[in-house]
Amino acid sequence: MQYFLSLCATGLVMGVIYALMALGLTLIFSILKVVNFAHGEFYMLGGYASYFLLSTFTGLHPLLAVFISGLIVGAIGLVFELIFLRPIHKGQIERPSEYAVLVTVGLSLFLMNLSLAIAGPIPRRPASFLAGTVQLGTVNISAERLIAGVCSLILLGLLLLIINKTWIGKALRAVSQDKDAASIVGINPLAINTIAFAVGAGLAAIAGALLAPIFSVTPDIGATPSIRSYIIIVLGGMGSIPGSILGAILIGLVESLGTGYFPDPTRALNYKMVYGLVIFAIVLLFRPRGLFGRKET
Amino acid sequence: MLKIQDLHVGYYQDLNILQGVSLQARKGQITAVLGSNGVGKSTLLKTIFGFVKPQQGVIALDGKDIIGVPSHQLIHMGLSYIPQRQSVFPQMTVEENLEMGAWSFRGDKARIQEGIAANYLRFPVLRDRRRSPAGELSGGTQRMVEIGRILMVNPKLILIDEPTAGLAIRLEKEIYDLLVQLKEEGVTILLVDQNIRQAINIADHVYVLELGRNRLDGPRDQFADFKKALWL
Repeated sequence: MQYFLSLCATGLVMGVIYALMALGLTLIFSILKVVNFAHGEFYMLGGYASYFLLSTFTGLHPLLAVFISGLIVGAIGLVFELIFLRPIHKGQIERPSEYAVLVTVGLSLFLMNLSLAIAGPIPRRPASFLAGTVQLGTVNISAERLIAGVCSLILLGLLLLIINKTWIGKALRAVSQDKDAASIVGINPLAINTIAFAVGAGLAAIAGALLAPIFSVTPDIGATPSIRSYIIIVLGGMGSIPGSILGAILIGLVESLGTGYFPDPTRALNYKMVYGLVIFAIVLLFRPRGLFGRKET
Repeated sequence: MLKIQDLHVGYYQDLNILQGVSLQARKGQITAVLGSNGVGKSTLLKTIFGFVKPQQGVIALDGKDIIGVPSHQLIHMGLSYIPQRQSVFPQMTVEENLEMGAWSFRGDKARIQEGIAANYLRFPVLRDRRRSPAGELSGGTQRMVEIGRILMVNPKLILIDEPTAGLAIRLEKEIYDLLVQLKEEGVTILLVDQNIRQAINIADHVYVLELGRNRLDGPRDQFADFKKALWL
């Protein structure tokens, strides 16, 4: 029982961190109607930014480095949106869907190769938040994972509060539901697009920076979290914020329990993504729009 | 108040839907634009509101050219628009939809509450359904939400496209009565409609378009016998 609870605790913590990254992707998709193929690279940049900040400013608190990394990568996302994605929404691009795929895949390749050129292929690990384990009742959990999970949970709560209770959050929801109606009431959809992309990129970077002390950073580390995020947002229902959060927690739990109970422990980690994909296939079989998917209007 | 001259609009090059339309919406009046399907009535309103860029022509609001002004800024010039399709925010509640109408003065809580209260007085059904997601309401109630939402800003000119399309007959009268009431409150209305009889009944001035051009226009009295006037 204790082993089961321990796996559940780890799964929940990882699920909350996955939710942070998936929420960023959902924000971008639901508002800009663009699938961001560079989302994993924003995650990777967050890890590197945290690593280089902590290496350069040795007195900096690791958690502060995490949030500064989010701001830096958010700013990169903002500039990218203004230069490459805004023309789509101004009607200046003849084939917007194909263009969006090309520029985000292009950004992904560019960032991966840039990181390889600057940081090299060696894994980099930023300073740990806190070493050792923490006992929660009868369950032991890594202190690093717990801190990362708690930070993600606070950030998720804050984000939900902003989305539901503030004017800027309502504007984000309005543009995601009907861009023209948002213009009619006076909201500038182009500005909202830019904000959504920057926030989405920043969230991915924060997730990357939170997990960097646990998994290290390499130029290609973004691929797995990126694929996992696509699975989560489809599982939760494209564009649904509650769906992304629930989907992420489900995937976190399934991955943790699947790995923990796999008959051959030496190979259990190799199939980590598969457990989530099985749940994904089952949910889509019965709910093709995902858990909270909207009907197309 | 609104003056349109020689407007040419098309979605493809060298294939204009509107080919030199000119019209005026006079202050405090209801102006109706009529014509058969595909003549360019909805395109006309989309162009005035900046959703479609014209190839040529002038659109002047109170003497100021508004071509090129982004749609989201037109609300500050007193111009509002209700498209033909449903345009509520479907996952937001009725009250949130009304609040979104107050985006341009979002810091003024007292004014927002006043606007919402005025809407509930005008449309009691919205008060009863204020916590319901707007997307779950009937077509008629959604229309009331859309009208209520634009009334939050006290617009000077409302562009309204097929206000009763798809609605039950008993709701049609309610909506047309409301447009007349708004006119009496000083709001100018430019109405595009397929419901010729009702549109002529409430309009002060009528324009008829054919193949993207003005065919005839005049005060309502000229269209009293609308079938004869339109050669129907």
